[in-house]
Amino acid sequence: MTVNLMIDGLACEAAPGQHVLDVARQNGVEIPTLCHHEALAGQACCRLCVVEIEEASGSRDVVVSCTYPAKEGLKVSTNSEQVRRLRRTVLTLLAERAPLAEGALPAYCQEYGVTGYDLRFTVDKDEKCILCGLCTKACAELGNSAIETTLRGVDKQVAPPFDEPPAACIGCASCAEVCPTGAIACEDADGVRTIWEKEFELLRCEACGKPFATAEELAWLKERLLDTELNLAYCPSCRGKMSLKDLT
Amino acid sequence: MSAKRTILVCCDTGCIASGSKAVVTALKEQLALAAAAGVAGAAATDATVEPLVKQTGCHGFCGYGPVVKVMPDDISYYRVKPKDAAAIIESLGGEPVERLLYRDDAGQRVTGREENPFYSSQKKLALRNVGELDPELLDDALSRGVYESLKKALTMTPEEIISQVERSGIRGRGGAGFPAGRKWRIAAGYNNNPKYVILNGDEGDPGAFMDRSMLEGDPHSVLEGVAICAVAVGATDAYLYIRDEYTTALRTMKQAILDAEAAGILGDSVLGSDKQLRVQVVRGGGAFVCGESSAMIASIEGAVGEPRAKYIRSTQEGLWGQPTVLNNVETFINIPLIIANGGDWYAQTGTDKSKGTKVFALVGKIKRSGLIEVPMGTTLREIIFDIGGGIPGNRRFKAIQTGGPSGGCLPDSLLDVPVDFDTLLEYGSMMGSGGMIVMDERTCMVETARYYVEFLARECCGKCVPCREGLRWLLDILTRICEGEGEFADLEILEGICETMTLASRCALGKTAANPVITTLRYFHDEYEEHITHKRCPAGVCRMGVAP
Ligand SMILES: Cc1cc2nc3c(=O)[nH]c(=O)nc-3n(C[C@H](O)[C@H](O)[C@H](O)COP(=O)(O)O)c2cc1C
Ligand code: SF4
Ligand code: FES
Repeated sequence: MTVNLMIDGLACEAAPGQHVLDVARQNGVEIPTLCHHEALAGQACCRLCVVEIEEASGSRDVVVSCTYPAKEGLKVSTNSEQVRRLRRTVLTLLAERAPLAEGALPAYCQEYGVTGYDLRFTVDKDEKCILCGLCTKACAELGNSAIETTLRGVDKQVAPPFDEPPAACIGCASCAEVCPTGAIACEDADGVRTIWEKEFELLRCEACGKPFATAEELAWLKERLLDTELNLAYCPSCRGKMSLKDLT
Repeated sequence: MSAKRTILVCCDTGCIASGSKAVVTALKEQLALAAAAGVAGAAATDATVEPLVKQTGCHGFCGYGPVVKVMPDDISYYRVKPKDAAAIIESLGGEPVERLLYRDDAGQRVTGREENPFYSSQKKLALRNVGELDPELLDDALSRGVYESLKKALTMTPEEIISQVERSGIRGRGGAGFPAGRKWRIAAGYNNNPKYVILNGDEGDPGAFMDRSMLEGDPHSVLEGVAICAVAVGATDAYLYIRDEYTTALRTMKQAILDAEAAGILGDSVLGSDKQLRVQVVRGGGAFVCGESSAMIASIEGAVGEPRAKYIRSTQEGLWGQPTVLNNVETFINIPLIIANGGDWYAQTGTDKSKGTKVFALVGKIKRSGLIEVPMGTTLREIIFDIGGGIPGNRRFKAIQTGGPSGGCLPDSLLDVPVDFDTLLEYGSMMGSGGMIVMDERTCMVETARYYVEFLARECCGKCVPCREGLRWLLDILTRICEGEGEFADLEILEGICETMTLASRCALGKTAANPVITTLRYFHDEYEEHITHKRCPAGVCRMGVAP
């Protein structure tokens, strides 16, 4: 079963309930996002992906495309003057919050002509975090919940419990990987990974010799993958090559 | 006259604060003395009919507490002190105690509520029993007909119940004004069990106490409304989510549930029928945002009370993913009346699109403050000047703030607009759950906006950007203006942020949080200009740091 909707005048097909953002991207319509991650859907907090919609019933609204479900007869406008204006304000707010953010945020700012940060509103000139929550969600999905968002309102922040190096952290760096703004410091040097003020020894791949994972991460994997034949002594890329060899 | 008399003493928070418990003790002591001596009042005429002293919920006229009412004579006394107890007992059946009566605007002493301008234009539907019974006694409730509507509902089909609620036109009293009947019909239409009913008793608006007064003053009518809803939509479990600071309400509701269960009204068999209903009290999570329905559901599930991101109604996917009806306390307490008298009867009161009455907490710079209930469509002027008696000290009215922290401030040019859901929205404010704060000429509107923004900046969940960062900027800019550091360019920034918050925030908190700023910019722009151009606060509230 599919539903038919229009995105910027383009007829699109979607599975019912599929999010408008995904349908748009499948059809080559670009919508900017910061807190969206395919594996960790549903954050819906940056609000950058706003679009205007008109339902089949004629009612109009402004919604975020990353969580709005596709419906029969829906008309979506992803780039109207109002949408662009809302995005500019969101980008300005974020740029001011996190002046040192890397990656997509400064790129979007440029695209949308958001310049001239009014630094009166900057609380922390070194801030990179936009509080998208992807890091804490990734950590929670892996079952560790080593970091969390604490406090509410304008004081909300991401931090390990009690602001101490987090006991539950296994050094897997998933949080740093999903972070869209490079806000989580993670450094691998001389066989040691430093993240959240904790140091982890990096184990070397028995085949290629490259450091690839922390001991804690492998122990964690082992516990969860009891029955698999995965050889955890090798890094993922060597493991891939080996299974290919085994097959041929 | 030897009719049985009841002396109702308000023992709600306001009157307790002004000493009503001591009045109860004194009244009881005096009664005992009079009975022993065989003199005084009714006790003298008929020793077998001893007057009863009852502790009740809020009588509404909180600014004049402790309030004492003698029934059936309908004599109300105000600002009663323990030393007045003897006079009151002595007067029973005779002339009222003149000096304790209310003096109306013309200086006349009035005995009954009908002659008291604070009460005379009110219409008590939701508050029908509040102040009239002892909330701790199930028998009191039963003698006033509570649970008769539940009995009746059990003889009706769910369809009949829901269609009566629809016909009544009642809209949710917690803020958004969604038609309750429609909400129930949607939930009833799903077949996946279990279904849940949630009562929203979080009442996070600072200064509001409408819902508390009902929970504390008439707990069984609240339960009756919840039970009728459960029967109508096919729910077997109900949760009463009550603000954590409301210790009395929490205790009263827990006791009411136990009493109703012991009497066979709730529990495994609702009034002997094949329906069952378990009711539990849940203590609120302590943040304003927990009053938002999806945050409340998360909070009941044990998660952090943050509004959810999904575009889906809780009637379809609510508590633990099941169909859920969530209504406000005042919405529920009206339901038994609708079932008893019919939807059409209820719809006779109110306006075209807002039916029935609304309870408000009328506070601020007003002569007669307290808890009031008026038909929808009553004008602001009637509320402020007829019921509230106007502004004390011959000062000028400046604004009325309605709708809680994210409501708006309306100026005197709008005093004649009718108070209903749609009209308030049209002018940039909202009904909210019913807070009304009157402000006089000594109130600075920029500072007022700043105050609400500060509250919301602390109380929002902080999850989405427009609300969290927007509120931070609004607070920053408004603070600067109040300190005399504002610039005209700031007003444009304010407007841009307000638009983005209103349209792009994730939940209704962020979508409405800019209202205090939007309405003060709209109706009191000159005050902003004064602050910015002349570094002067017209109300004399803000200290500007520079010499005037
Ligand atoms: C921030 C926020 C706070 C709210 N607080 C309350 C509250 O304290 N009590 C309440 O009944 N509704 C509150 N609401 C409204 C609820 O989300 C919901 O609409 C209402 O309880 C539904 O019941 P009703 O239809 O009977 O009004 C709040 C909404 C928001 C966005
Ligand atoms: S609008 Fe405010 S309260 Fe609502 S989700 Fe966003 S940050 Fe939280
Ligand atoms: S990508 Fe949709 S809200 Fe962030």
